[in-house]
Amino acid sequence: MIAEDPAFWRAGAISSTLVMLVVLGFLTVDSLATIRPGGANVPAYTVINKEIRYEFDVESNRYRPVIGAEQLLFGRNYSAQEAEETMRLGKLVIQSRNCMNCHTFFGNGAYYAPDLTKAWLDPAWQQMWMPMTQSSTREDAMAIFLMNPEKFPTWSRQMPNLNITRKEAEALVAYLKWMSAVETNGFPIHFGHIQTNR
Amino acid sequence: MFRSQQLALRYFAAAMTLFGIMIVAGLLASTHYVQDGFMLNKLDFSITKTLHIDTMIIWLLMGFIGAVYWFLPIELEREVEGIKLAEIMFWIFCAAVAVVAAVFIFVQYGPATEMSLWFINQGRKYVEAPRWAAIGITLVVLVFVYNVVATALKAKKITGIVGVLMVDLIPLFGLYLIAFPSITNMSEDQYWWWWLVHLWVEATWEILIGCIMALALMQLLGTNRRIVETWLYIEVALVLGTGILGLGHHYFWIGTPSYWLGIGGFFSALEPLPLLGMVVHAVYDAGTHRMKTTNKPAFFWVMAEAFGNFIGGGVFGFMMTLPQINLFTHGTQWTVSHGHFAFWGAYGCGIIAVIYLALQKARDAQQLDSTAWKWSFALLNLGMVGMVGALLVSGIAQAFYERAMGGSTLQAFMEAQTNVWFVQGIVMRLVFGLVFAVGYVILIVDLLAIGRKRVATENFKARAAGGPA
Amino acid sequence: MSAAQMICTALLLGLFVLLAGCFGVLYCLGRLHADDKLGRAAAFAYLLQGITTVLLAMTALDFWWKALLLASFVAYLPIPPLTWRLLENLYKPGEQHS
Repeated sequence: MIAEDPAFWRAGAISSTLVMLVVLGFLTVDSLATIRPGGANVPAYTVINKEIRYEFDVESNRYRPVIGAEQLLFGRNYSAQEAEETMRLGKLVIQSRNCMNCHTFFGNGAYYAPDLTKAWLDPAWQQMWMPMTQSSTREDAMAIFLMNPEKFPTWSRQMPNLNITRKEAEALVAYLKWMSAVETNGFPIHFGHIQTNR
Repeated sequence: MFRSQQLALRYFAAAMTLFGIMIVAGLLASTHYVQDGFMLNKLDFSITKTLHIDTMIIWLLMGFIGAVYWFLPIELEREVEGIKLAEIMFWIFCAAVAVVAAVFIFVQYGPATEMSLWFINQGRKYVEAPRWAAIGITLVVLVFVYNVVATALKAKKITGIVGVLMVDLIPLFGLYLIAFPSITNMSEDQYWWWWLVHLWVEATWEILIGCIMALALMQLLGTNRRIVETWLYIEVALVLGTGILGLGHHYFWIGTPSYWLGIGGFFSALEPLPLLGMVVHAVYDAGTHRMKTTNKPAFFWVMAEAFGNFIGGGVFGFMMTLPQINLFTHGTQWTVSHGHFAFWGAYGCGIIAVIYLALQKARDAQQLDSTAWKWSFALLNLGMVGMVGALLVSGIAQAFYERAMGGSTLQAFMEAQTNVWFVQGIVMRLVFGLVFAVGYVILIVDLLAIGRKRVATENFKARAAGGPA
Repeated sequence: MSAAQMICTALLLGLFVLLAGCFGVLYCLGRLHADDKLGRAAAFAYLLQGITTVLLAMTALDFWWKALLLASFVAYLPIPPLTWRLLENLYKPGEQHS
């Protein structure tokens, strides 16, 4: 019986693996084009100069990022090159401080601390940290918090002090702003809006 | 014993040591959840968790490498080629792991520069090891690949199992290179990162453990080569046929196109099907041999592997894999519940089974049995099931309160973390973690003693005198 | 879907696969011991999986996922008997031990 012949299953293993790898290859080429900065789903880094919102889109039946009008970050407008350098630094902060092992980014990482996908849009910055840090802008509050989280706790589980410099903190804030503008197919669902129907 | 097999025993000892460190780190990380401010700014959660998951990756990898070094000379009927180099690499591997762990604990982090990534921490989950160590791991894997390929070529013999193993070593090495780059764009970073994580643990490693189990079954139950080879090819076809595009279940929310919701969800939903086949195979083997075997612990751990893989990977994975559900469960303790069970079932149990097999041969024991292994088997599995159940409760609470109701903000996060169900789950996780830890201690005691001639002789004398063993 | 519906759906999905596993194990035990009672228990587990499938069809999952679940339910049925037959044929008498 052919099903008892190892050669039959070996052929099956080789062919199914190859077919799947080829399909994966094609999908990878397409996906990489979609996720490069400036691609369909990922904004160029200069989006940090714009207002970002997260709103429900009736047509696609999900929440989507909305890029608005000009909104300076730390009182300045970043050129394309400045934005790219800032993003590079911001990502190095995230990696050097091992943020992914307390927080999540796009839901990936560790679950000890909040997801940071839409952290830029979190109402807590205006409601809690701007008053606590006596900042006039959201980004200032974020930067001040990041440099000394022990001074601005909001509950009993605290973020450690990771010796983040002012320059690093600003880069990290800019990075989080850019990240909040990535099209994530609606994750996290209805960010910032509380549901009342259980 | 071949020199390669002596090296295997060293790898197993190192693996079991790291397993212990993993448990200590896990208990510390669990304590962070239960006690606020625990070692804050001294040994934070990010460090204990990094140690916990990285020691896991390394001990499993060492288990795989050890298993291959154990079985390869028997399979190819000759000493492993390049064994001296392999022996040196083992010590380099251990030293590198120790240095990396010490740096994680005592240096912890550096400024936002490439130097920090080269020498302290790369900050990408599972592959935090600094680049210099990643180079070391790459070299260890390369030498391992050389050992396997060169031995097969010198032996002029490539059995079906060795053939599959050799092909599988290509992605084992190649995918690991993704541990090196630092990509600014988080979407692209995670796109490739998932190739490494998923295509290692849900593809390459599945094939690797499949090869090892094939070799183990031939030794444990005397199963015919044609049978294990046929089964291995079936496994490869089904696991890779579903797992390669099952990678898409990590591409729902990272910025990739929405067609991944359909593709990833579909293939991921098919993944339990081959796992059911493995359960059938396990029951068949157990039944037709009427549980008779010369190595009871190995046999039971192989059974645990089949069932653990199915329930931990298949059942728990299926709960959360459809995108409409995953939107709520993603990045919660539900994921942790699934991850613990799946890793344990798919790999942990299998490595332990192989170690018992190797010890039987190494200690020249006709029959390998003891009382202690039963206790460790019970406590480790009870501990794991308890942790997983507790985390499921916490995960359900988190998905409900933080994601579905709360809108995933900081406020929602805090409310879920302090929810009574969440807290109870997280406390019970620590309790069952302690049960698991006790099981580990007994496991080590048993591994050190089982099958040794002195113990066996005393048991024999006691039985001969009519008393209990 | 509401929060409670989401939780229920997820648990039903896990139950779906768990019952498939129960069906498989009971079927195998029934064949091993040539026991009709175990065979009937296996059929009952499969029936329960069918009921779970119907419940899942009533959830807020999209149509195509429900179709996939139905197809999976059908696909799970032959897996234990086919796998068993394959194993029996592979392990023909005289070839048991190498």
